[in-house]
Amino acid sequence: MSVDLRVRIGTLELPVPTLTASGCYGYGTEFEDFLDMRSVGAVVLKSVTRKPRLGNATPRLVHTPSGMLNAIGLQNPGIDWYLDHDVAKFAALPWKVIGSVAGFAVDDYAYVCERLAARPEIAAIEINISCPNVAHEGETFACDPHLTEKVVRSARATTDKPLIVKLSPNVTDIAAIARVAEAAGADALAVINTVRGMAIDIDARKPRLGNITGGLSGPAIRPIAVLAVYEVARAVKIPIIGQGGIETATDALEFLLAGASAVCIGTANYADPRVPEKIVAGIREYLARRNLRSVRQIIGEANVGFANSYQKEGDEG
Amino acid sequence: MTAHAMQRRVHDAHVLDRTELAPDVVLLGVHAPEAARFTKPGQFAMVMLPGGENAAVALGIYEAHGDRVSFMFFVCGKRTHDLARLHIGDRISFYGPLGNGFLLDDVHSGDVAIVAGGVGIASVLLPAQALIARGVTVRLYYGARSAERLVDAQRFADAGCEVHTSTDDGSHGYHGYISDLLASASHTPTLILACGPTPMLRATARVGTERHVPTQLSLEETFACGVGGCWGCVVPLTRTSAQAPSFPPIECDGSDVVNARICAEGPVFWAHELRW
Repeated sequence: MSVDLRVRIGTLELPVPTLTASGCYGYGTEFEDFLDMRSVGAVVLKSVTRKPRLGNATPRLVHTPSGMLNAIGLQNPGIDWYLDHDVAKFAALPWKVIGSVAGFAVDDYAYVCERLAARPEIAAIEINISCPNVAHEGETFACDPHLTEKVVRSARATTDKPLIVKLSPNVTDIAAIARVAEAAGADALAVINTVRGMAIDIDARKPRLGNITGGLSGPAIRPIAVLAVYEVARAVKIPIIGQGGIETATDALEFLLAGASAVCIGTANYADPRVPEKIVAGIREYLARRNLRSVRQIIGEANVGFANSYQKEGDEG
Repeated sequence: MTAHAMQRRVHDAHVLDRTELAPDVVLLGVHAPEAARFTKPGQFAMVMLPGGENAAVALGIYEAHGDRVSFMFFVCGKRTHDLARLHIGDRISFYGPLGNGFLLDDVHSGDVAIVAGGVGIASVLLPAQALIARGVTVRLYYGARSAERLVDAQRFADAGCEVHTSTDDGSHGYHGYISDLLASASHTPTLILACGPTPMLRATARVGTERHVPTQLSLEETFACGVGGCWGCVVPLTRTSAQAPSFPPIECDGSDVVNARICAEGPVFWAHELRW
C-alpha cells in the first residue's frame, strides 16, 4: 500500500511533511550532497532584513547537553542584495524554498515582505517575529499581542502567498499570541523558535556566547515544543509547522499527533545530515504498519481539543 | 547532485585502528577509501557521534592514504569523550571532506615554515607531505604543553621535515612558545602555514608581518553544520579578500569587514586579510 505523505500549508502543497528550519540549512545546496533532497518538503531560508547585518560577535554557538545555544544575530546581506543575487538562484533549485523575514519595526516586515512576495521563486513567506538574539528588539513582537497583530496584519496586506508566523516559546501564553496571529491573517504558524538560554565559562568567568544570551535548540527543548504545538492546535484552525528538537520519525510523529501539519528539522541535521530521509522513511513505515493511507489522518489525533479540521477535509469520502 | 558530489558525501566507515598518542590525545584510523582519495591538505570532516543526540564534531583530517583516513583529537568534552570510546571495528560515519584547506596551488618551490600548536598538528601532516613531494623544503615548528603532548613529531621527521619543537614547561626542545622560536629563527621562510590555538595563530601572524612572509592560518571556532548553512563560525575578513563571501559591496553596520564562514570560506585564511 502506498502511503500519502502530502500536506498543505495554506495554499502551499508539500510532497512530504518535513521541512528544514530557518537559519539552519542555508539554501539547501549546502547539504544536498549528503541526502536525498526529496525528503525535504521545503527549505525555510535564513531570515532577511531591510538592511544588511554583520550579525553578532563570536562565539555564536555553544554545544550543550542534548542541544546547543546559538546567537547568530541575523547576519544577512539585506533585501536589496538578496533579491539581486540570491533569489535568482532559487529558480534552479529542485526543492521549494520559503522566504523568512525579520525586522525591528512594523514597517520593516511589511517592506521586506512586499519585495520578497513579488518573486515567483519564493513559495511562501515566514515572518520571524521571535528571534531571541537581537538585543531587546527581535523577539518583542512575538511577546506582545498588539505588536504581533500589527506586524502580521501589515505583512498580510503585502502578499497572497502563504504567510507563516513563527512564534516564540518565551511567552506566558503562546495560545493567546497564536489566536492574535490567526485573526490578523496568518495562514500558518511555526511553533516554536528557540528557547532563551545562556552558558557560562567557569575558567574565563564570563558568558560563553559573544551575545551573552542565546537560543536553545535540539532535543533538550522537544517536550517544550510538543506542548506548545498541543496548546496552539487547540486555539487556532490554521495549520501548524511544529519544530524544536526533532531528530527521529518518532519525534516528528509526536508533533503531528499533537496537531502539527508538518515539521521542521533544524539542529538534528548537524548530528546527521540524513535525518530528513530517515524521518520520512520512518513516518511512511509507521503509517503503513497501521494501514493508514495518509499522514493527514493522524494530525492532531492525540489532541482532544484539536480545532483544525483543515487537513482532513480533503480526505473525506 | 553538484559537481563536487563525488568529493563530499556521507561516509559510513569503521574504525581500523585506535591509538592513544598521549593522555587524552586519540588517533582514530578509519576505512574510507573515497575520503582518502579526495581529501586535500588542510580539509576537515564532520564526524558523527554514536547515538546522534549531539552535533557532529569537526576534526582535521590527519592522514589520507590508500583506504584509510585518520582523525587526531583532544578529548575535552562529552562529544570527544564519546568518540574516544570507539573501538576497532566499530562503525563511524562522517561527512566530508570539507573546507578549502591550505592554499597551495601556486607553491612549487621555496621553503615553508609550518607552525603547529597542540592538536593543531592534526591539520598539517598532509600539507607537509604534499609540499615535500613537490620538492619544497619544510621546517616544522611544533609546540605543546609538555614533552608527552608533543605527539607524532617523528612522523614529520620521517616525512622529510626539519623539526623544531618547544614546550611550555621546557621538558623538550625550546622552553617557551613556538611562535617565539619561529621569531628567533635565523632563517626566513618564503611561506608560513599555521594551525593551533588562537593566541599562537595571532603571534605567528605577527612574525609573518614583521618578516614580510605571507602567512596562512587554519582557524578554529565552534561549528554546528560545517558546510556553511548555519553562519555560526564566522571571522571578520577584509572586504577585498578573494575569500570574502558574496556579500554586499557596501558598508555594513558602519564596518569595512565581512564576516566569512570559517567552515565554508576557510578554514584557512591569509593572515593579512583577517580583521580579528
